[in-house]
Amino acid sequence: MATDNSSPISRLLKNIAVLSLTLSLFMAVPARAAMNCELNYPASDVARLFPELTSYKTSYFSFTQRGGEPLLRKIEARLGNAPALYAPLDVPYTLYEIYKGDKKVGYIHGVNQKGQFGVLEVFVSLDMNGRIKAFYIQRIAGQWGKKFTSRQFGKQFIGLTLKDFERYDTVSCKGAGKVATIGNPASEAATDFFGVLRAVKKNLVLMDEFFYSTKG
Amino acid sequence: MISRFQIAYKNLLRKKARTLLTLVGIMLSAWVLVSLLGFNRGYESALNRDIDNMGYQLMVMAKGCPYEAATMMLQGGTGLRYIEQSMVDSIVNRPEVDKVTPILMQAFFDPDKGDGGGIAGYFGVEAATFPAMKPFFRFRQGGWFHDEQALEAVMGFEAAELEQREVGDPILVPEKNVQLKVVGILERTGTQDDGTIFVPLKTLQKISAIDKITTIGIKVKKDADTTKLETSLYQLPDVQVVSFTQVKQTIMKLVATARVMVLSIAIIALLIAMVGVVNTILMSVLERLQEIGILKTMGAMPSDIFFLVWTETLILCSCGGVAGIGLAFVFARLSDILVRRVLPYAPGGELVAIDLKLALLTLAVIVVVGLLSGIYPAWKAGRVRPLESIRGE
Repeated sequence: MATDNSSPISRLLKNIAVLSLTLSLFMAVPARAAMNCELNYPASDVARLFPELTSYKTSYFSFTQRGGEPLLRKIEARLGNAPALYAPLDVPYTLYEIYKGDKKVGYIHGVNQKGQFGVLEVFVSLDMNGRIKAFYIQRIAGQWGKKFTSRQFGKQFIGLTLKDFERYDTVSCKGAGKVATIGNPASEAATDFFGVLRAVKKNLVLMDEFFYSTKG
Repeated sequence: MISRFQIAYKNLLRKKARTLLTLVGIMLSAWVLVSLLGFNRGYESALNRDIDNMGYQLMVMAKGCPYEAATMMLQGGTGLRYIEQSMVDSIVNRPEVDKVTPILMQAFFDPDKGDGGGIAGYFGVEAATFPAMKPFFRFRQGGWFHDEQALEAVMGFEAAELEQREVGDPILVPEKNVQLKVVGILERTGTQDDGTIFVPLKTLQKISAIDKITTIGIKVKKDADTTKLETSLYQLPDVQVVSFTQVKQTIMKLVATARVMVLSIAIIALLIAMVGVVNTILMSVLERLQEIGILKTMGAMPSDIFFLVWTETLILCSCGGVAGIGLAFVFARLSDILVRRVLPYAPGGELVAIDLKLALLTLAVIVVVGLLSGIYPAWKAGRVRPLESIRGE
């Protein structure tokens, strides 16, 4: 039989260490409170998504600050009346405002969207007219992830605007125009493909409601 | 007729800067004192809650350096120390034991998570024994696994929120590419369970290609001798026993040591503030000797003068105390954040818990100590001889 010969003090200290370990392991799993979508490496990611920038500013906006419940409902209606999962009003959306010298030249904004095996984190960079300049999937689960994060797939979104997405219903996944011609890189991942399209549309609608439509 | 309070108030207003500085001193002391007392209460209850929410009082795990195990696990679960599942049978029948649950903790590297990938933690538990350890769990959607070998998962509220999962949705175990179906989503508990993904033990063992477990959680019978059980468990080969009650007591002792030191500083701050009070009131008395003399010639008794000066002390201490307690209430969350930064292990929930009872207690301490400090200047004022003071001026 094995016995523990260590002193009571060292046993206690060991116990504390184990408790800390246990709690830290519990905390090692995802435990974020708010479902804010932020770039993992803002400094390098922003420069990559908006190469001509000289500086950028991070700001936050939420439905609580402007519009509240009615605005949330309005946006859901614009997205085909598909209520977003886990979309509390007070969750702040992170916005990267891009500057060239003193002049604001665009935005980078990301949203979370339900995907096949987990959340999709989809970012777009936009010029001041709301045209997509770059497309970036930060997170996608599944063995087909690389097909979606490939440059080839992302290129299909460049130049698109909200007008293009308005001709496409992201709930029934039917429509016409440029969005309808975007090809699914992984036929087995239809949920993720349509999730990405929904995410981009949600992104553009949010930006329109909060920024572009409020401009003089 | 003008009241004693009005006279005292007007006297204090004569030297506004001095009065304000004294008030600031009392206010800061009150702030520190109430925050410390609030921490004393909040920390203990938060620690109790965290440990109670673990569901079990004892944990049996493989012998070895826990930090080494933590590093291994956080690096991807390789090299973890395991114990035989048969050990559960040797524990469950002991007279002190109420319930036992085997747990397998596994961590897989998820390249899509966080900055450059991260660790996704999975807890393999038995639907038959684990829920009894966590009676406070409530399901937001669904329920526990349908059988002990199902490819199913139950997600904590935040884990589901983060991954945007609902009951019926699939999740993928990173590295292993095994698909699980979400069958339950828990309500928010305010504990680390919110971020946890629970999988049937046998399923996780199959996914990880391992037939062992990492931990046995033990719920001890009410009034059972935990120390005796702990000692007997140490007779099992190559295990270490973690007693949460003992750990809690030890942490509380460590915290108490730190608290005594901080409380000493708070008492010194309080004493300095009170010296300030004595100084302010005494200066005020010495500057008003002639007035006090005239009051006496008009028939004021020494006790009248004493209480007049004492009232000034009361006003100073009450106002400073109320302001300090108000600040403590306003900045309670900030104090919480600061304490969390300083303490290596801080339980979840409110660490600085200030309520009305505590606020009133602190105010009473400040006022009583203040009034004690005010006795000397008030006594000195009461003893002023009218003729001498008038001549002296």
